[in-house]
Amino acid sequence: MTIAATAPAVRASGLSLRYGRTPALSDVDLTLTAGVTALLGPNGAGKTTLLRIVATALVPDSGELTVLGADPRTAGGRLAVRRRLGYLPQDPGFHPRFTAFEFVDYVAILKELSDRRARHGEVRRVLAAVGLEGQRRRRIRALSGGMRQRVALAAALVGDPELLILDEPTVGLDPEQRLRFREMIAEFGEGRTVLLSTHQTEEVMALCQHVIVLDRGFARFAGPPAALATLAGGRVWTSGSREPHALASWRTGTGLYRHVGDPPPGADLLDPTVEDGYLMLVDVAASEVRA
Amino acid sequence: MSVGLEAGMDATGWHLSDEQIRRYAALGLAPPALWSADAHLAACAPCRDRLSAVAPAGLVGDGWARLDAELDAPVPGPVERLLVRAGVPDHTARLLAATPTLRRSWLAAVTSTLALTALLAHLAHPAVFLVVAPLLPVAGVTLSFGPRFDPTYEISLVAPMHTLRLVLLRCTAVLSTTTVLSGLASLAVPDLGLAVLGWFLPSLALTVTSLALTPRFGPVAAGVLVAAGWLALVGATLGAGRGGSAVFVPAGQLALALAAAVAAAVLARHRWAFETPRRIR
Repeated sequence: MTIAATAPAVRASGLSLRYGRTPALSDVDLTLTAGVTALLGPNGAGKTTLLRIVATALVPDSGELTVLGADPRTAGGRLAVRRRLGYLPQDPGFHPRFTAFEFVDYVAILKELSDRRARHGEVRRVLAAVGLEGQRRRRIRALSGGMRQRVALAAALVGDPELLILDEPTVGLDPEQRLRFREMIAEFGEGRTVLLSTHQTEEVMALCQHVIVLDRGFARFAGPPAALATLAGGRVWTSGSREPHALASWRTGTGLYRHVGDPPPGADLLDPTVEDGYLMLVDVAASEVRA
Repeated sequence: MSVGLEAGMDATGWHLSDEQIRRYAALGLAPPALWSADAHLAACAPCRDRLSAVAPAGLVGDGWARLDAELDAPVPGPVERLLVRAGVPDHTARLLAATPTLRRSWLAAVTSTLALTALLAHLAHPAVFLVVAPLLPVAGVTLSFGPRFDPTYEISLVAPMHTLRLVLLRCTAVLSTTTVLSGLASLAVPDLGLAVLGWFLPSLALTVTSLALTPRFGPVAAGVLVAAGWLALVGATLGAGRGGSAVFVPAGQLALALAAAVAAAVLARHRWAFETPRRIR
């Protein structure tokens, strides 16, 4: 489960963490280099837990972890990481009375920018980077969901971090906002490292150079999205009727049915997508658990 | 003229003094004096000319760029402005402005509780005030941070600023405001002599103890535990002294001061536990 690496921003091996008796992560290995990497998996797969560990918000029960060359288990290592890290949590909260400018300014202060002039310059820079220079005086509670998400991204970009961690950054956004967000993330990922979690396979294809599939706390796959798609090679076919024995079978816009699973002899095979590969992978894992 | 500047006056109105012009040109003015100078310079051509005469051209250009940025930045809210005028650095004021328990609704709740408690002290026993007042800062601190009450908790947690520093800043602000309010409310409590200030050391001891217990139990459980312990302690020592309990006599107050010192030592020893908490929920 290792992505080809040159000067990796994150190296982890054997990461495990439990919440009480419930395992959240089990023996996860990870190597992240420059570019955008997606954590893909169902709810409860351990995506947020892994992001929070890499972001230094959680300490794993066991395993080795190096982030940006530092060991986050030590106080000095954590501080070194936090000075070079941008983090967008799954549900970014805002102080309701703050304007967009004030909120990003608040985060800039937390990031040790105490000089007022320099800090305000940085706040204006990141708000402009997410296209909110015209909204900076508006109270956050008056902004749309998409704009709020952009404010949170702007806060994560303060200080031009080397590693950007985004927990489901496009959830709840409309298609146009999603596209704009992808543009921004892709631009940031040029030469730097971005780790994001998502449920959306089309996002993985559109944005990510690497994908890691997490399921029930285990890393099931790590590699390029195209390699994930090939896991369903020869397992996707089309026909004119529903296939009850397939893993998934649905009617498409063409009126034909698309199936994923074990095709019958002579089936009309299709090229697999990332979604097909993901479906196969998660289903195989579920079968192993059931067995 | 705004607070913080001592402007010279002439027949047509006020102007910045030579010293203020010199400090402005040298980028030596800090808010709020800087804000006032910026605002004045935007409207006063003679002062702009004087500034141009004492500052190099490049510096004046920088000054206008800064003025542009200052006018562009949102005006801070009333709490922030008040804090800055009281001498708090502007970045600290912004951190404090985000404290949930410095909002007007919380301060109104504290004021109402103290007023009600003072009334009860009149109707029942003065000890009511001494027992209730120390619980207010504990509640304020409990509601000041943690994922349940601080919407930016997660972002704060992974920021370079030490989490405990932010927590202590907020605690200091909460303790200060509740102490002032409790002090004012003490004036309305029936005659207890100096014993009427018997709430102060318990306030300090309970607040620091709840902070020290937070990494282990979380802020809410720690606050509840400390409050329950306090009520049990007062209940167990009823009947002594003018305040109605042994904790309000000098020996009891000394014991509480020692407890605060021990709790502070425990807090300092476990300060790193705030950095990667497993139990702060």
